[in-house]
Amino acid sequence: MVMRINKIAPTVVESVVLPKLIRLDSNLYGAAFFLMKLLPARFILDRARDAGLLHEGSVIIETTSGTFGLALAMLCKLRNYKLILVSDPAIDAPLQRRLEDLGTTVEIVREPSPTGGFQQARLDRMAEVQAAHPGHFWPAQYSNPHNPGSYAPFAELLTEAIGKIDCLVGTVGSGGSMCGTSLYLRLLFPHLRVIGVDTHGSVIFGQPDQKRTLRGLGNSLMPPNVDHSAFDEIHWVDAAAGLTATRVLHKKHALYMGPTSGTAYLVAQWWARRNPDATVVVVLPDEGYRYQDTVYDDAWLHQQNLWLDNLPESPVRTDHPLEARSEWTCMDWNRHTYEQVMGAPFSVVKNDEPVAGIR
Amino acid sequence: MGSQLTNNSILCRQSLSSGSDFKNQTDLLKPGYGVALAHHGELLQGVFAGDDGRLKRVLVSIPCGIFKSEVRFTPNGSDVVEVEPKWKVKSCRAAELTLSSLGKHKCGGKVLIHSSIPVGWGLGSSTSDVTATIRATADALNERLSPYKIATLAVRAETACDATMFGEQMVLFAQREGIVVEDFRSSLPRLEVLGFNTNSNGNGIDTIAFAPAHYSWWEIEAFRPMVGLLRRAVYLRSAQLLGQVASASAAINQQYLPTPHFHELKEISAQVGAVGLQVAHTGTIAGLLFDPDDPSKDDRIEQTQTLLATLGIKHMWVFQTGVNVSHTKKAANGNEN
Repeated sequence: MVMRINKIAPTVVESVVLPKLIRLDSNLYGAAFFLMKLLPARFILDRARDAGLLHEGSVIIETTSGTFGLALAMLCKLRNYKLILVSDPAIDAPLQRRLEDLGTTVEIVREPSPTGGFQQARLDRMAEVQAAHPGHFWPAQYSNPHNPGSYAPFAELLTEAIGKIDCLVGTVGSGGSMCGTSLYLRLLFPHLRVIGVDTHGSVIFGQPDQKRTLRGLGNSLMPPNVDHSAFDEIHWVDAAAGLTATRVLHKKHALYMGPTSGTAYLVAQWWARRNPDATVVVVLPDEGYRYQDTVYDDAWLHQQNLWLDNLPESPVRTDHPLEARSEWTCMDWNRHTYEQVMGAPFSVVKNDEPVAGIR
Repeated sequence: MGSQLTNNSILCRQSLSSGSDFKNQTDLLKPGYGVALAHHGELLQGVFAGDDGRLKRVLVSIPCGIFKSEVRFTPNGSDVVEVEPKWKVKSCRAAELTLSSLGKHKCGGKVLIHSSIPVGWGLGSSTSDVTATIRATADALNERLSPYKIATLAVRAETACDATMFGEQMVLFAQREGIVVEDFRSSLPRLEVLGFNTNSNGNGIDTIAFAPAHYSWWEIEAFRPMVGLLRRAVYLRSAQLLGQVASASAAINQQYLPTPHFHELKEISAQVGAVGLQVAHTGTIAGLLFDPDDPSKDDRIEQTQTLLATLGIKHMWVFQTGVNVSHTKKAANGNEN
């Protein structure tokens, strides 16, 4: 290559797979993705294809109703794979229509399992569908190492456009984006500070499993792809603070992003202001259009009792996840393992999500 | 009719060939001169996808002006190429390839190599000889070849070559194809290098026989942010960022060719405040990198020399990159003026 020149993307995926980098403050850069999960979905399918596990017409089966499912649906349409997603009634109708428009078969489990609720019912149904399709491929985003491994192009964009990075802030759900990106960046910047953003009632960083109001981050099971020792600092953000921050991101910076973006922004803008000499990158995983009738509707926020007049100034500090208060709370994690922090390995085994890698 | 055409074309070729042979005699009366610098290992060596999306083995060389290879090519009217010293057969082949690529198929001469580059340390002695030979041979024909053309000839002469022919021009070079995967469109930013051999008692490494590293998929991906930072480093002319790339590349290479004392060298690098640690990825030399504009650079280098001596490293040298070096005869013979 002798010179760089603008190019036409072969498909929409190549044109939107990397984020736009936007200056939010003198030392804070937002990485605004169209749909972040396109990166892991593409890499997982690429590696499976290279390993001879995928061919034109192959069947891909997954149980997700979130953005990973949408990313898979886009790729499967473009690559002529048949996608079956097993979901439950919690899936939002516009997303389901969008998936079906892309040719995805969306299997909705109508009845919860007597033991294990909808999560178990979804798993049971996925097992049936998988049994009916020998030779299928299971992307398994929670345990497939190609999920965290997919973030090298993002890390390349950051190093090329920004150079030295001192701190990376982002929400944690599967562990892919934060653990994957930070592992690549730390090859170059071993002192990179990694701040994981979770929410109350998520088990990832040691809280007891509870119903979570803030969606798109956290987990009620422990994804094997979360490498706890990647994190220097953990924040638990409550729904009201996270959603208010999402609106601030829009009102102040005209960035129309989803609630995980706003939640990460809350933590990042706080940390960046306190560390003016550090270069901070915040991961903003998806756009706001899916949340027009919720996060971006004042009436809905009031109705849900999630309206805040002002962004909280700063988090409450804690020394242990079990002592975290119900408001925005932070803790130094010091790159420890789960066991080092909690005194015992994670034990509440919810047989919900895939643990094995590629089949 | 077919045979007539064939005859015609044979006749044609013969007349052309005798004509060019005659031309050869006159052109080749002039002895040719060529010089090529050594390189001091690499800033980065790994795998990267080119514009065609295919993965290629690539490197970014660090040019090093304190060792060089000088070659004189003297046409002698024969149709064979001889080389001195005789074991440098790759240079012999390089001269033959250069002559034939310039249309002088039946010309011979003597390639005399005078090199100060130690062999097997990872200083690229072989490619420097080959590059200087190609330059000298072309010079005898009053030709100057582009580094791209030299790279194509060099890789044919020796299977894999480094980016020596590009001098200070910084390129991501595919060493087994002899092509540029990415041109940084800039010279290497300034760096001060304290170089040394980590295993001066060893026999060195046979670069060509050395099995290419079998990188994991994760390592292959990890080269992307490293190349990204390289682009940034060039843009900012930043010794600091270059040092971070070099250190990361050296770390990955430890699985494929461990550098003696690597752990201690990393500690020394941190202790003295070097911007990075670079290695020869298929050799035994290494270098601690410093920012030439750092006011306490000389103190840091002095402290490093003391610490390296405690590891038994005695022979060290200091040089700078980013200083303009010309490959022309005049510059090479400048001290004669």
